Amino acid sequence: MQQYKKTQNKLILVLVGLPARGKTHISYKLNRYLNWIGYKSEIFSIKGAQQNNDQLDQNIDYELEIDPTNQQFVDFRQQLSFTAAHQLVNFLQNDGDIALYNGLTSTKLDRQKLKSLFKEKLKLEYQVFWIESICDDPQVILNNINESKLSRFKEKTIEQFMNHINVLAQDYESLENIENLSYIKLINIGKLVKVHMLEGYLCSKIVSFLLNLHANNRQIYLVRSCQTEYHLLDKIGGDPELSVTGKQNSQQLGDYFIEELKGNKNITFFTSQMKRGIQTAEIVGDKLGIKALKTKNLDEIDYGICDGLTVKEIAAKYPKQIKERKANPLEFKYPRGESFLDVIHRVEPIIYEIERSREPVLIIAHVAVLKCLYAYYHCNQISEIPNIDIPINCVIKLVPIPYHCLESRVIIK
Amino acid sequence: MQDCHKSQKIALCMVGLPARGKTYISRKLHRYLNWLGYNCKVFNIGNYRREICGTECDKSFFDSKNEQATKARNECAQMALNDLINYLNSDGEIAIFDGTNTTKERRNMVQCSLLQQCQNVQTLWIESICDDADVIQNNIRLTKLNNPDYVSMNPEDATKDFLGRIKMYEEVYQKIDLDENLSFIKLINIGEDIQIHKVKGYLLSKIISYLMNLHIYPRPIYLTRHGGSTFNQENRVGGDCDLSQQGIQYSEQLGKFLLDEFPTQEQRNQIHCLTSTMKRATHTADIVCNILKINYLQLKTLDEINVGICDGLTYTQIAIQFPEDFAERKVNKLTYRYPRGESYLDLISRIEPIIYEIERSREPVLVIGHQAILRCLYAYFHRNEISEVPQLEIPIHAIIKLTPAAYYCEEIRIKIDPETGERKQIEEDLQITRINMLTKKKSYILL
Repeated sequence: MQQYKKTQNKLILVLVGLPARGKTHISYKLNRYLNWIGYKSEIFSIKGAQQNNDQLDQNIDYELEIDPTNQQFVDFRQQLSFTAAHQLVNFLQNDGDIALYNGLTSTKLDRQKLKSLFKEKLKLEYQVFWIESICDDPQVILNNINESKLSRFKEKTIEQFMNHINVLAQDYESLENIENLSYIKLINIGKLVKVHMLEGYLCSKIVSFLLNLHANNRQIYLVRSCQTEYHLLDKIGGDPELSVTGKQNSQQLGDYFIEELKGNKNITFFTSQMKRGIQTAEIVGDKLGIKALKTKNLDEIDYGICDGLTVKEIAAKYPKQIKERKANPLEFKYPRGESFLDVIHRVEPIIYEIERSREPVLIIAHVAVLKCLYAYYHCNQISEIPNIDIPINCVIKLVPIPYHCLESRVIIK
Repeated sequence: MQDCHKSQKIALCMVGLPARGKTYISRKLHRYLNWLGYNCKVFNIGNYRREICGTECDKSFFDSKNEQATKARNECAQMALNDLINYLNSDGEIAIFDGTNTTKERRNMVQCSLLQQCQNVQTLWIESICDDADVIQNNIRLTKLNNPDYVSMNPEDATKDFLGRIKMYEEVYQKIDLDENLSFIKLINIGEDIQIHKVKGYLLSKIISYLMNLHIYPRPIYLTRHGGSTFNQENRVGGDCDLSQQGIQYSEQLGKFLLDEFPTQEQRNQIHCLTSTMKRATHTADIVCNILKINYLQLKTLDEINVGICDGLTYTQIAIQFPEDFAERKVNKLTYRYPRGESYLDLISRIEPIIYEIERSREPVLVIGHQAILRCLYAYFHRNEISEVPQLEIPIHAIIKLTPAAYYCEEIRIKIDPETGERKQIEEDLQITRINMLTKKKSYILL
């Protein structure tokens, strides 16, 4: 529903929580998701303000370390937090749609000051939604520190971090209803969730998205359906069946996954409703002993009037469309067909399913659809989508970890 | 995507004092899940109690110290639960246990019975909490006073007795506690506060998202087809043609009708207008929204059913060129998928986000759509059986106004003459729909 964004008020998402509660992780994931569905979204944090300022010592974690006796340090932290807030206001005053704020928000007073700042400086309609992450499971906190803090500050030890956090925890005030804020509290990675005064289309969507997040680093495999006669004839679209070579390649794919998945039958396995998708998935599924779930959402992009034609025929019959597509490949819509933006919208429920799944995910689909799925994990801008390379007979393995996504590609011979 | 996720059975159990909207939520969930294609049934303990113990029970029947009555009530709950378990063990997919379930003891009994006696079941407990006296009073007025329990009483006495009944329950009420280790969602004061605990799985996540959008603001929903198009005149399907002259006239008359429905500009500004990306719908929306001076939203999700290879043909041509498909469609219009196109089931899946959007909206909604799309939308609000969807009557040049009331939807259909602007209230023609209206009224009285 990207058309909704034109009538949507500006949205500020404020993150609240002690360090090592996954705030940065949540903000990255949300930011990536919102940009992917078409909003202009950015994160503003103390870390960001620090990195933008070359004069500062980049080895100090201003979010985490606190020495109550060092007034200069405390003031500086406050300053960075305000700088980030001002940058946020600027962003929204211009063409930003959604801003995520990761700064000083741990006490009622901090939050009050932030609210006042927004009220004073933002000269347009806006909505604020507060996202608090609470965790009392020591194992989870330890994992978080290992994965995100130690890599950045190599001279520190876990003990030092835990000490810092304990100092900060003394002054920490969790969100309360009396503050009259619209919020969501995620407790122990979503085991318990509390929502207060939820309003608006976008916030509802964000809550649904957050309910699906978890910390399991599971693999996601993206594969194209195998070769069909249309490939040999250089035709696009259509609903052809697999060629003989295509069937052989599917067998090889199956063998690859037998090794890769090591007998795990609990995987989330999706394919499209197109013949080539179903056939590839059947052959692979037979080898693994599991059935794929068929969904129309994964069908290839609708080529409209160009469906079933060869590339040469399209160039001859519809030169005007070819020009339009070169000029704006992302938004170009095949007449009576779809654009990439339509495909993103169509494929969104699949993203929810992938996010929700704590087991490995295997998706057998088609070029344009896979480009959109891949972009969600890998690209910072959706304008890159048309240029993504998704070769045939190639398994793309993605493993999302905090703050990025590992990728490896294996060509199946 | 519903074919995918039918492996586990689901039991949804309500919790809450009387007049907290449990039956309202149960029925809404029932309608939504049936519309999506699941076999779903509601088991209302109150109905069992009325059948077994009779309908004229005053509040002392609900006193926990009244041993005989408590025994009787427990037996009724057990019977309802047994029927529910049998339903899930046969062809039922989702069962809703509509009762107060206000004590830990009762919940524990139900949870254990379900896990032990149902093969492969997931449970979700839905607790509705409300401490707003006005809302409770309103609930009682709307739903309890027509209840068979109070048929012989005057409204004042009935309300008094019912408030007394609530007090009986309140004395022993234990809200769901975290250490009961149940998967639950608590809806507090109609969604002002929501708490969700241990919810996993495709369908439960969907149900949670649905519940978060529910409210009880009685806003009207207007459904209308775009004005007549050139293809309509030629009896063709598909295509992306523009309005005929009559279609343009209808759009103007429709605009004027809505001006009367919403007398002030402030009211008009509240209208949430949705349409598709096809020319005929957009053109209608242009004309209407110009008259109302409001904006509209174009959503590809509202585009008409994709008729694939039959695009642009008349029904006669389809019968000649694709005789097998034509015959197949006649036999099973619901599941038939046009080659390279869609089926009605695909449509339902496609427009699901629109249902969420309409449910969530607390302002009037105007949908300018197409025949097949509106059949699916209408079926959801009207609680039609899914098999009826392809035959539902959505006439051209008419507007359907739905106002959700307590347990059903009030409906008014108005035909608007494109040339004269004359407005005539019409009844639905289909025999099937009339029978449904009767059975709906019947089930309403049962509560």
